[in-house]
Amino acid sequence: MSVDFELTPQQSQVRQFLHQFAKSVVRPLSLQADREHKIPEDFLLRLASMQGTMQAGEIPAEYGGEGEGVGEIKDKRGKSQSNRFAMIGAEEMAWGDVSVLMNLPGPGLGGPPVRFMGTPEQKKRFFGLFKQPGLHYGAYGLTEPGAGSDVSGIRSSCRKDGDHWILNGRKCFITNGGKADWVVIFATVDPSLGRAGHRAFVVEKGTPGFICGKIEEKMGLRASETAELVLEDCRVPTENLLGGEEHYRGKEGFMGAMKTFDSSRPMVGALAVGIARAAYEYARDFVKDNYCLGRPIARYHQIASMLADDARLCDAARLMCWRAAWMADEGIPNAKEASMAKAYAAKAAMRICTDAVQILGAHGLEKHQFVEKWYRDIKVFDIFEGTGQIQRIVISKRILREPPNF
Amino acid sequence: MISFALTEDQKILQETVRKFAAEEIRPRMREFEKARAVPDALRKKLHELGLGLLDVPEAWGGQGLGALTAMLVHEELAFGDPGAAVALWAPHAAAAAILELGDDEQRKRLLARFGQAADRLGAVAYSEKWKVPEAGFATVAQTTGAGEAYLLTGAKSFVVNGGRADLTVVFAQVDPGAGWAGVGAFVIEQGAEGMRAGARHDLVGLETVHAAELVLESCRVPGRNRLRGGDDFLAAARRFFQRAALINAARQVGLARASYEFALQYTQDRQAFGKPVAHFQSIAFTLADMHMDVESSRWMLWKAAAEFDAASPSAPQSVAKAALHANEAAWRVADSGVQLLGGAGFIQDFPAEKWMRDTKALALLAPSDQMQQLVVAGAELGRAADFGPGVPTSDIQPIFT
Repeated sequence: MSVDFELTPQQSQVRQFLHQFAKSVVRPLSLQADREHKIPEDFLLRLASMQGTMQAGEIPAEYGGEGEGVGEIKDKRGKSQSNRFAMIGAEEMAWGDVSVLMNLPGPGLGGPPVRFMGTPEQKKRFFGLFKQPGLHYGAYGLTEPGAGSDVSGIRSSCRKDGDHWILNGRKCFITNGGKADWVVIFATVDPSLGRAGHRAFVVEKGTPGFICGKIEEKMGLRASETAELVLEDCRVPTENLLGGEEHYRGKEGFMGAMKTFDSSRPMVGALAVGIARAAYEYARDFVKDNYCLGRPIARYHQIASMLADDARLCDAARLMCWRAAWMADEGIPNAKEASMAKAYAAKAAMRICTDAVQILGAHGLEKHQFVEKWYRDIKVFDIFEGTGQIQRIVISKRILREPPNF
Repeated sequence: MISFALTEDQKILQETVRKFAAEEIRPRMREFEKARAVPDALRKKLHELGLGLLDVPEAWGGQGLGALTAMLVHEELAFGDPGAAVALWAPHAAAAAILELGDDEQRKRLLARFGQAADRLGAVAYSEKWKVPEAGFATVAQTTGAGEAYLLTGAKSFVVNGGRADLTVVFAQVDPGAGWAGVGAFVIEQGAEGMRAGARHDLVGLETVHAAELVLESCRVPGRNRLRGGDDFLAAARRFFQRAALINAARQVGLARASYEFALQYTQDRQAFGKPVAHFQSIAFTLADMHMDVESSRWMLWKAAAEFDAASPSAPQSVAKAALHANEAAWRVADSGVQLLGGAGFIQDFPAEKWMRDTKALALLAPSDQMQQLVVAGAELGRAADFGPGVPTSDIQPIFT
């Protein structure tokens, strides 16, 4: 092995295919989807029928995933390549439109906890669903009105009652929460136990007492559903407790919630890079074709400098994400690098999108020019999956000799 | 295949230079600074490791290890001390200039001098303080006889090792008025009649580095020492500057890492209000940002060096991006490094203040940021942004070479 930044022919192929798809199919849908707060269903059905989409690739073949999905490819040493493939795919799709990507049928963020904690039977049952025709979604329910960044502070409760668990509480800001076939819900047997009290359940749509509350109206990502979920004496069968009771000897539930982030944070970073690249390229092409005071805007040194910096930051953010993904594929612990990738990419992408609006001037505020949408969409990348501040707590805890008490 | 894995050989080399920097350079950085020089013996010792022609192909007496491997070495040396990293690197930019601008005979003959006696100094005389207001150089090279020799006349500034180098590469105007099309590069050997050192520059940082003016008064250079840059002098000059920019970016990464690691230790040792100051969020988050700056600039650098080694068409742009990124990140890290130490950051008992001065000096030891932005913009925007020849010129800012 040696240092290398070239894509394999296969990765290039995937990238080219997804880029073409993003350009000719996804991007043209983008503005309408944003306006109407939804993606056309026939389009999503077509997506669902496509083989080898990224999310399907995340499901191991033995549990009914797309066996030959791109994510399953391993290198000559038997090491996974799936995280690096995911980086490439996420960037291209987000370049097209990030809300479309978040509407991609599949287990979504619910996938990793099922994969990490689920028994073989559970994996088969919950992943098997996605092989059936139609639109199927999984979701991840951790955040509550009173606990977002502070995961250990969740108050949703669970208590055992015969062969069922009774869940009570409220979850908020759950992506695809309303339309999901199942949601991984984190709850606690006793808040005083802190992290050791956490349990993860797969709660299926239609379970009595499992209610979809209000759908949020947001600054950006408007075509992506963000739901409030209410659990009122919701009876969940014991076989839906991820990993079974014997799995929870210590902080396994909390660790399962956290482990999701090792692969999801670089992925979120890659999405931010995709949006940033879209905004950068849009501004770059704009200054080539538009004139100010008799010369192309590109000819102004200050504008050229801004674009040069944006191109550079875009590359740097991508490399931070690739680094974290490479570590995940190699099996090297990457919690710090995953947080750095996400924190860095979000910050860089914010600046790039802001610059793009600035460079377009008044045009940057027009709905049909796209950049105003990216400017709204990008903000949440420094908020969800751990805010920029939380990422810096994660990073500083790992660079300091002793854990700080902030 | 995307990979950040160094080879075993690269790791061994990195470890060797890291040890050298920790033992031989860091403890003596203030001593070198006061003396405004590194000891000759130490330069000799470093070059006994055989690093001088590390990235020069084996055919010309080098080790053929490529730019990426060289980045590891320069990061470690600068981690020891940025000034010493420049001053200890005997061939300086001259080897890169000869490699890129020379023909095979010149490469073999001239690079061998650095191979034989590894502590021989090289210099490149490029920028001019008082330049005529047109593209190219005020220093002229006048043909004598039927081109068997040139007479060089002019004054160069900001020349590292100026006036005391074994080989000095001088950029001069062969055809005045022809702009960049009329520029040539000439290798002058030490002791040549008509070449003398001018005043040594006093610098904001990197005091260890000997940078001086160079005066040429009808200095005779044999025709065989004119570097013609193959078929395309401009393209070769650009590649030379890419090499210089890569090495310099590696030094900025080493400097930033040094400043970050020092602040990381210091803020954990220093107690305030009953706990280490690093355990206050605003300090800890600053450390996290410094760490991200160090890492992102290293990966930008590695990618650019890998592309340069592969002669990829995107290499010029990636090198410019890496250089910009490293300059900006190192400045921010070095500034934070002083800030986090508080008063201790401002006094010379601690190294942080030195890194803050050194990083600004390093940023001018290769094409300036403004120039690199034009390289990136030129590549990204094409003809819509035609700002000029894309070669660093003193028209924009003089640079140290």
